[in-house]
Amino acid sequence: MYRYDEFDAAIVKERAEQFRGQVERRLKGEITEDQFKPLRLMNGVYLQLHAYMLRIAIPYGTLRADQMRTFAHIARKYDKGYGHWTTRQNIQFNWVALKDIPDVLDELAGVEMHAIQTSGNCIRNTTSDQFAGATAEEIADPRPWCEIIRQWSTFHPEFSFLPRKFKIAVTAAEHDRAAIRVHDIGLHMRKNAEGETGFEVIVGGGQGRTPHVGVTIRDFVGEDQLLDYLEAVMRVYNRFGRRDNKYKARIKILVNETGADEFAKLVEAEFEAQKDAEKIVLPQAEIDRISAYFAAPDFETLPEASSAFEEAKAKDAAFARWARVNTRAHKQAGYSIVTISCKPIGAPPGDVSHKQMEVTADLAEKFSFEEIRITHEQNMVLPHVKLDDLYEVYQTLEAAGLATANYELISDIICCPGLDYCNLANARSIPVAQELQNTFADIERQDDIGELKIKISGCINACGHHHVGHIGILGVDRKGEEFYQITFGGRSDEKAAIGQIAGPGLRAEDVPPALERVIEKYREVRSEPSERFIDALERLGHDPFKEALYAAD
Amino acid sequence: MSSVRPKLGPDVPKVITAWDVATGATVYRTQSGDWSQDLSDAETVTGEAADKALSAAVTDETRILDPYVMEVSDEGGVAGRETLRETIRATGPTTHPDFHKAERGVINA
Repeated sequence: MYRYDEFDAAIVKERAEQFRGQVERRLKGEITEDQFKPLRLMNGVYLQLHAYMLRIAIPYGTLRADQMRTFAHIARKYDKGYGHWTTRQNIQFNWVALKDIPDVLDELAGVEMHAIQTSGNCIRNTTSDQFAGATAEEIADPRPWCEIIRQWSTFHPEFSFLPRKFKIAVTAAEHDRAAIRVHDIGLHMRKNAEGETGFEVIVGGGQGRTPHVGVTIRDFVGEDQLLDYLEAVMRVYNRFGRRDNKYKARIKILVNETGADEFAKLVEAEFEAQKDAEKIVLPQAEIDRISAYFAAPDFETLPEASSAFEEAKAKDAAFARWARVNTRAHKQAGYSIVTISCKPIGAPPGDVSHKQMEVTADLAEKFSFEEIRITHEQNMVLPHVKLDDLYEVYQTLEAAGLATANYELISDIICCPGLDYCNLANARSIPVAQELQNTFADIERQDDIGELKIKISGCINACGHHHVGHIGILGVDRKGEEFYQITFGGRSDEKAAIGQIAGPGLRAEDVPPALERVIEKYREVRSEPSERFIDALERLGHDPFKEALYAAD
Repeated sequence: MSSVRPKLGPDVPKVITAWDVATGATVYRTQSGDWSQDLSDAETVTGEAADKALSAAVTDETRILDPYVMEVSDEGGVAGRETLRETIRATGPTTHPDFHKAERGVINA
């Protein structure tokens, strides 16, 4: 994993001290809230419904065990004992007092963490595939490039006053787990005909009130030209992106209104016009230096199969099921990728207690080369676990309430904090998720339904990614009452699509029975048990499912 | 600076609510011009008195931020179109019973 050099360390330490002074001046009344607000937002401090919220960056979702322990410590000492994984692989603490935040930032600086680029109209935390560096599906590890983008974008003066916030995601696997087509820029690592590694550049994706799937404006940009090309995109956006209306200021609006072909021409012209002196020289030695931090850990040479693993599965059916649902193939023989579900039935999706953080840190230290990943689907990952160790990992997770076997199943719901916390929300989202989890709690039923992604947002800003849920749920306010609009057919993978609204909104209590009818219809009409809900929807169209949704009316 | 919320008619009973600067906690303006985390301590106001109370609150930004008027019933309880939002602000998230203010002794029974 990447480690700070002395300059990085000094910068985050100084940043914490600067904020300490700013907070002191605010608390003494020496600066007004209008003066202070941009300063706190630049340090990830938002004001929510009944407390401040601190959002901390987890670069490309990769964490060390000691960093997770620091989160646990912060949760215990400064919050109410838990944290919340966000849909951009970050963590939020929902109850931190302003007066304590300088101390929190200081503690974070001690483990090479901060809250920079978690708010404001800048390039935010670059996100990636949570299986990066572990899956055999990828052509390269995308994380060195995420780190290079992070270093290029942080404090870059040209990007400190963008029309709106800007989000970049990178993947190197054909199966997209990073939702790159619904980001401002999505980068898909590819090889060209000469076998060189580079990037497909996808621009203009996004969710919010005007969702768009991104479009490819360049099939291949070489590694040595990536930053120059990104800079060309950013310059076109900076020049032509709207600043008069925040709802039309994202790059997706510019790309859509300009037209993808014309936008691509503008970028190419900007790229060509860059003078030699402007070019970002990224020496191979620097790429190699950063890549070295992401070198594969010291894997043991092991056989493909593990007799200990097979024996444990034979004697413990619950373990066998968990292993089938929550683990994925690793590139290294004898190892596995473990997804730790943070979606236990009936609990707020993405919330993790300080004790669970400590347990996860223990497991990472003992079994996964100290590495942990946070997913944009609000789960955790131990990326490198030996098959021989899976049973002990499972038993430890089970004891900590972290062994829910539902990865990618109907109860693995993405959910924003909603009106229970968020100052922007129109409706609650967590209680709807909890009711749906309770409705579909039966594990055999979940298995039978198979992969199905439900995503819930409490307002049109779409932090819960409802636009790209196979079934999306959007909370709306209708004269003071909560209603929920259902969408079908969204997806955030390599076939990214925006879901279509099924019809009138439903009351909260009507959502679970309505979705039960939809699921029963799916089970009735699927061509075979392995046909997923999203595939049946695409094969049959939405009408049968809409009829089922409203069948009670 | 004052938060923008739905407009309320002059005769609608209302209280001034805001956030405590140091902690971010929900607070309500009392008759003495102080701030309490307990809605039952709040002064209910209408008409010009409400305008004056809000104006005074806006100048109190060392202690609080983003004050606004919220609708209450004649008895001083949360009322009106934003009942759910203001109930959550007054009592805590509906999803974590442990964080409910009544459970923590913040709200008077």
